[in-house]
Amino acid sequence: MKRYSDLEFLRLSKWQKFLYRLASFFAGIPVAIKKFFVGIGRFFANIGTTIGSEFADLVTTFKNGDWKTRVSYLIMGFGSAARGQWLRGLLFFVFEAVFIIYMVVAGGYWLSMLPSLGKVGPGEVYNEVLDTYVYQYNDNSFKILLYGVLTIFFIIAFIYTWRQNIKQNKIAEGILASGKPLRSGKDDLKSMVDDQFHKTLLALPLTGILVFTVLPIVFMILVAFTNYDGTHDGYYSNLFTWVGLKNFNTMLSWSGGGNVYSATFGEILTWTLIWAFFATFTNYFLGVFVAMMINKKGIKLKKVWRTVLVMTIAIPQFISLLYVSKMFAKNGIVNGLLMNLGWIKQALPFWEDPTWARVTVILVNIWIGIPYLMLIATGILMNIPADLYESSRIDGANPWQQFTKITLPYMLFITGPYLLTSFTGNMNNFNVIYLLTGGAPTNAAASSAAGTAGYTNLLITWLFKITTGAEAQYYLASVVGIMVFVVVALISLVVYNVLPSIKNEEDFQ
Amino acid sequence: MANVKLTNVKKIYSSNDGTHKKDYVVAVHDFNLDIKDKEFVVFVGPSGCGKSTTLRMIAGLEDISDGTVEIDGEVVNDLQPKDRNIAMVFQNYALYPHMTVYDNIAFSLRLQKMPEDEIYERVTNAAEILGITEYLMRKPRALSGGQRQRVAIGRAMVRDSKVFLMDEPLSNLDAKLRNQMRAEIILLRQKLNTTFVYVTHDQTEAMTLGDRIVIMKDGYIMQVGSPTEVFERPKNLFVAGFIGAPQMNFIECELTREGGEYFVKPFGVKFPVDGAKGQELKKANPSTGTIVLGVRPEHIVLTDAGQGGIPCTLEVNEMMGSEVHLHVYTEDGTRLVVRVPTMNLSQEQRDHLKQGNKVYLKFESKVMHFFNKETEQNLIYA
Amino acid sequence: MSTNNSMKRSMGLKASARISNTIIYIVLIAMSFIWLIPFICIVLQSFRVESTWQVGYVIPQKWGLDNYVKLFHSDFTRWYLNTFIIAVVTALLQTVIVLCMSYTLSRFRFKMRKALMQFMLILGMFPGMLTMIILYRVLKDLGMTQANAVPGLILVYIASSGMGYYVSKGFFDTIPKSLDEAARVDGATRAQVLTKIILPLAKPIVIYTILTAFMAPWGDFVFARYISFGTSAGMNVAVGMYNWLNKDMINSWYTMFCAGGVIVAIPVTILFMCLQKYYVEGVTGGAVKG
Repeated sequence: MKRYSDLEFLRLSKWQKFLYRLASFFAGIPVAIKKFFVGIGRFFANIGTTIGSEFADLVTTFKNGDWKTRVSYLIMGFGSAARGQWLRGLLFFVFEAVFIIYMVVAGGYWLSMLPSLGKVGPGEVYNEVLDTYVYQYNDNSFKILLYGVLTIFFIIAFIYTWRQNIKQNKIAEGILASGKPLRSGKDDLKSMVDDQFHKTLLALPLTGILVFTVLPIVFMILVAFTNYDGTHDGYYSNLFTWVGLKNFNTMLSWSGGGNVYSATFGEILTWTLIWAFFATFTNYFLGVFVAMMINKKGIKLKKVWRTVLVMTIAIPQFISLLYVSKMFAKNGIVNGLLMNLGWIKQALPFWEDPTWARVTVILVNIWIGIPYLMLIATGILMNIPADLYESSRIDGANPWQQFTKITLPYMLFITGPYLLTSFTGNMNNFNVIYLLTGGAPTNAAASSAAGTAGYTNLLITWLFKITTGAEAQYYLASVVGIMVFVVVALISLVVYNVLPSIKNEEDFQ
Repeated sequence: MANVKLTNVKKIYSSNDGTHKKDYVVAVHDFNLDIKDKEFVVFVGPSGCGKSTTLRMIAGLEDISDGTVEIDGEVVNDLQPKDRNIAMVFQNYALYPHMTVYDNIAFSLRLQKMPEDEIYERVTNAAEILGITEYLMRKPRALSGGQRQRVAIGRAMVRDSKVFLMDEPLSNLDAKLRNQMRAEIILLRQKLNTTFVYVTHDQTEAMTLGDRIVIMKDGYIMQVGSPTEVFERPKNLFVAGFIGAPQMNFIECELTREGGEYFVKPFGVKFPVDGAKGQELKKANPSTGTIVLGVRPEHIVLTDAGQGGIPCTLEVNEMMGSEVHLHVYTEDGTRLVVRVPTMNLSQEQRDHLKQGNKVYLKFESKVMHFFNKETEQNLIYA
Repeated sequence: MSTNNSMKRSMGLKASARISNTIIYIVLIAMSFIWLIPFICIVLQSFRVESTWQVGYVIPQKWGLDNYVKLFHSDFTRWYLNTFIIAVVTALLQTVIVLCMSYTLSRFRFKMRKALMQFMLILGMFPGMLTMIILYRVLKDLGMTQANAVPGLILVYIASSGMGYYVSKGFFDTIPKSLDEAARVDGATRAQVLTKIILPLAKPIVIYTILTAFMAPWGDFVFARYISFGTSAGMNVAVGMYNWLNKDMINSWYTMFCAGGVIVAIPVTILFMCLQKYYVEGVTGGAVKG
């Protein structure tokens, strides 16, 4: 693609400028993707060099270190304790002891079972005392997978701590060699609220994230490679085991004609993207519009209009959504009123007809979303410097031109990242869809696939359905979850790398 | 009350955030300075020269990448700011918005767990000196810029700190207030009688306040010296251009030597370098050739036509009141600035100083500066 | 002549402004109507006595408090209490965690800071629902599901709340760093900087965080349903009342749902309206900061 210089670009006609921008946008996508992979490559290269230098450092530290340092390679914290840093030494040592005991008592077992996810399933076993067969539970695939992952986490943590322990020795040697005193345990404690305060503050939140987000996500990613479902729950019914890429194959292969899963997946993904697009942009533009109406000079009772809208934010969504859902039901108020008025003879199929349902969902979402957007837009509109409007008026702009040339670009520029998060948020907008339609109306063509898919199902509500259905195909849910991640990540990646306004966001602030 | 000693202090910023390869920017290169007890040292330089970074390293707000900072003989590299016993005034005052003026000033004393009676004593005393007693119960946002500045100074002065650091304290004030506060800082300094390190980008502040001035550029020290020293004996082109306003005129010209005497020949007019300057130049014994001649605007004299002056055309005449600044250009198009006290101008001369008229300039050798064209070093003082 | 012309023009301006304002008023009134009508309907139907199922009219033929009385003899009180406990505890703990996280990321420059933020960004792209399956089984092993769902839910809500640091970090970023530095020079430790300088200044964002953390459990449906699965005693209001609108139950419970909705909405709405100012500040700041 031909690149124009700034001055050449200025000579283009409006239409050419537009085409040029469009072309550079699409030309930017491969570049962004390439950049991403180069970034990943560099990331791993960095990791490689880091590990290399860490090993080199380990060796030199051992060679140059004194005997206290060398003993620390085996007994963690020995060097620290021997140099008078009792607290550190003790903590290192306790960590090592806990680790070894854990590995011996449990960790080793979990790790050894991880490749098979359990050998002996539940079954009947002859009991001599009762002289009968009793049903007995044996290995627990679920626990093996969970604790196996946990044990790996623990091992990584141990290696890191061991490395820190050796680093501490090296640092301490250096400090002593320069003739300065080491920090005492008291100093260490003091630094917890001062120069190391960030570690204190982060300890709790990060532990929570690690245990309740990272661990489950790693676990669920692994589940995608197993046959874990309602009939293979790993303990009570059957063990589950590794199946490789089979589940991805089921979900994504378009080859086999009439592959119900991939067709359903494609259909739901399409609707999810359509939904996210409309849900985001209708709300956005209408929200800005409403905010501008309320903020217009000469409009009275500004506070009242705003309060009416804001109040609807306060009411828990499950109430408003469920109620609205029933209002539009076949025998609901809306149909009832319309029939009483004689405007219609038959109830309108708000939730029964696929197109009606999809449009209604988007309309109700506007009703839900406008108050938020009105608030956001009001805040930003008030921050647009008044002199921009004044100078544009002197330059001869009419109100419409002011809107398109000043207000809208300003808004879009500032809210660029918000639009992105709001788009991905809408892709995963469980509440609105689930409470309004629950995914209905049923898509007959796709309904034989896992957990009856409907026309308004998003990937996320489908995922939920899969896990709650009678068969509870967790492995499929996990594949869907991973696909959601891939889609969201791809969109974010492209938008972040291609849209200049988002890249420059921080400069603008 | 203490001396501050910086030895080979270095500041390296690296984008070492765990995501990218390490990129380094060296903000301060081997900085060596011994600030004596009770001395007032000013760091001055254009923005980005590393002056604030150096000050912040003394304060402990930036890590020291290399070298040592000593306060009162103790290496403080690894000490937190709170343990260094320093006081600091920030550019944007950094007053705690949720506290009254009294609480702002008392904050550090309360952290030291000083008895409230003594705190009261000290705070009111400081407020008296700074003339902010009536505002003690106000919040910072109810104060004017000058008053906020005083509170910030008050907050720093109630502590018996060893060193008093000021980071561009006057740059947020308007010109008039700035002059007033500058005078007050001089008085304050006499009262406090402690070590001051003061950062500014304004050479006037540096000249009027400092016992010694440290002129910096791109992380390097260009010259350290008293105001007179840096003004009269600039070590290099940068210092010569930075100190003094309007800026020194720089003219590329030939340095020649005839019969032991040096001559410069700007714009084809030959001036002898005689007197004390000539002696100094002879002592330095530079080789002849193209050099950069520096002449301050106030050291250029107007002469009449035919007196051997450099012929120039007047472009702009700025009337400053006590003096006029004449922007002229020579026959080869070089622009020069001349500063002439109005006192010495006759009415006839004033009438003549109009755009487009010819003027003739003469340089005095005793206030000329000679710089090497390549190294930009002063031929005599470097 | 010319004055006449300009007068005409200015009158034209005024008239057109009047017309456009009138249109705007009509739109605003219509909007207010559309936005309020469902809530008016809920309130009205909650007082309906003559029937408990869905009907095609709004104004009850017979008024009464029957639905509310019945409400207090159902599991609703239990659900309400559950939700209230969850909301209060979550609001407090979540605020502490979010503040720790956002303050640290705003103020400290440590080695892994950027990597950590990017990691959390990526983590956030996984649908949270995915983690439910495992959390349910783990909590079940710990005895924190079904009837004991309340502590389990609290744990789930607060554990990962550190990831929602964006809005308050954006706020902390607007507090000048020189305040921290001044305080540190004045002799404060980093912990004292937080407690004595930053927290007093961060009141709006603290209130915003508490408010949003308090409101979220009232509407949470999916996690609560998963964890309290099938056991009325562990449900929150959303899950419990959702069941009332089942095909099998809706005919006898529809008006009760309305009454329950009113009871749930009133305290939350009042609290929200009182603290509206802070909410607006947080929402706008969050959107601008991204």
